[in-house]
Amino acid sequence: MKSIKNHLALILPLFAILFAVEYLQIIDRVVKMYEDHLKTEYTIIVVTETSVLPGTIQQVSPLIDKVEFVDAEQVLMRIRQQISQESLEKLQSVMPLFYTITLRRYPDQKSLEELRKSLMALHGVKRVQMFEKVHHPLYTMLMFLKANVKVFALFFGVVGFLLILKQMYVWQLEHQERMQIMALFGAPVWLRSGVLFRFAVIDSLIALAMIAGLVFYLQADHRVVALLSDMNIDVTRLVLLQDFVQLAGVALGTALLCAFWVVARFKEES
Amino acid sequence: MRNVIVANKVQLAYPHHEPVIKDATLSVQTGEFVFVTGASGSGKSTFLKSLYGALQIANGELMVGRIDMQSISGTKLNKLRRHIGVVFQDYKLIKEWTIEKNVMLPLIIAGFPKDVCQAQAHKLLNHVKLAHKADKYPLELSGGEQQRVAVARALAHNPFLILADEPTGNLDDYSSQVVWELLEKANEELETTVVVVTHHIPEMFSANYRHLMIENGVLYEIH
Repeated sequence: MKSIKNHLALILPLFAILFAVEYLQIIDRVVKMYEDHLKTEYTIIVVTETSVLPGTIQQVSPLIDKVEFVDAEQVLMRIRQQISQESLEKLQSVMPLFYTITLRRYPDQKSLEELRKSLMALHGVKRVQMFEKVHHPLYTMLMFLKANVKVFALFFGVVGFLLILKQMYVWQLEHQERMQIMALFGAPVWLRSGVLFRFAVIDSLIALAMIAGLVFYLQADHRVVALLSDMNIDVTRLVLLQDFVQLAGVALGTALLCAFWVVARFKEES
Repeated sequence: MRNVIVANKVQLAYPHHEPVIKDATLSVQTGEFVFVTGASGSGKSTFLKSLYGALQIANGELMVGRIDMQSISGTKLNKLRRHIGVVFQDYKLIKEWTIEKNVMLPLIIAGFPKDVCQAQAHKLLNHVKLAHKADKYPLELSGGEQQRVAVARALAHNPFLILADEPTGNLDDYSSQVVWELLEKANEELETTVVVVTHHIPEMFSANYRHLMIENGVLYEIH
């Protein structure tokens, strides 16, 4: 029972740290995917009185990926049956020119405002339609969520690490006597500390298995899948194999660092 | 006969304290049985500690098994300790290990295969009449039994030197007799050098021995 408690005292804080690291990665990917989605879906319409070369518009900002001229003929074709030829010609003579702009990435509100101003400053530009109100609230909410997750992850990480250190103090006290006795009979450091490192490795592998189980469970949960699908996020791309290599590194690194700390603090009594 | 311990004007002191031993000069040869006596607090245990490197010498020269004990540490100290058997007054058995595994400790450290360790532990536990308790843990044994296990452990790896600190201090007559017999046997049959720190030399002891005494921080030869 005591042994299980001892293991849990290391496994749970390690699990909390790993959960924080993985959750941070997932949120980062969710935001990135939504940004990619915005990048392909989001366009800006520029309305001009006179013809402007697409290259001129493109030079306004490095944010602009592509500028395309929208042919107004297609719009007029649709209403040709409903109005007279005379009205159509009049309409054609006053009809402005339209350009669509695709961005390289979805920028923040400030950058969008600056882009609007720069576009409006171009000669002949009458209006710039950003449609930011459609996308911006969700994007802002995701950014807010990401910031919150970072704060919580940091909190989890610090508390987890402190709990592990506390457990290491307990281990140090528990193992001190055995290590002392082994040292008196000439045991090398690796032999007298072997049990600590075994604990550290086993516990970090258990914590890793627990986090893998949780992540795979959540990834397969239909509610999570449905929620993410609504945001056009592919759930299968959220967790990568390399995450587990990274998490194994974090788990083993943290646990072994703490074990080394206990060993380094060992002092033979005289 | 060769020197196992050579001490020349050795001074021993704990950090930030006056020297406990001001002058210890002696030489102990292979196969000798040495008793070191003295009043409580005279520095007997301190002297013994210096022989297995648990206390660095402050001044003088001390050689144990041809190893210079001045500033000895790390691998060199570990290597020396693997050839010394120590019996402590408070037994120093590992509580989480069975007594069989406790006896096996010096052999495990020396890297012997498990079956060899077990056979040797079984033989020694037979000698101390505790073979039937091989699977017990130290806290399940009486003080006398624990000390017999500690003596068996000290002998497990056939050390060239056995250092015993008040080995029968808290024991009943029967356990004391078993301990002395075992130390005597190791000394006679294997020519192991034995240094025992004690308040008084047991009357039952029949072998030839040397008697040293510590008084006012100085080590004297009695006979």
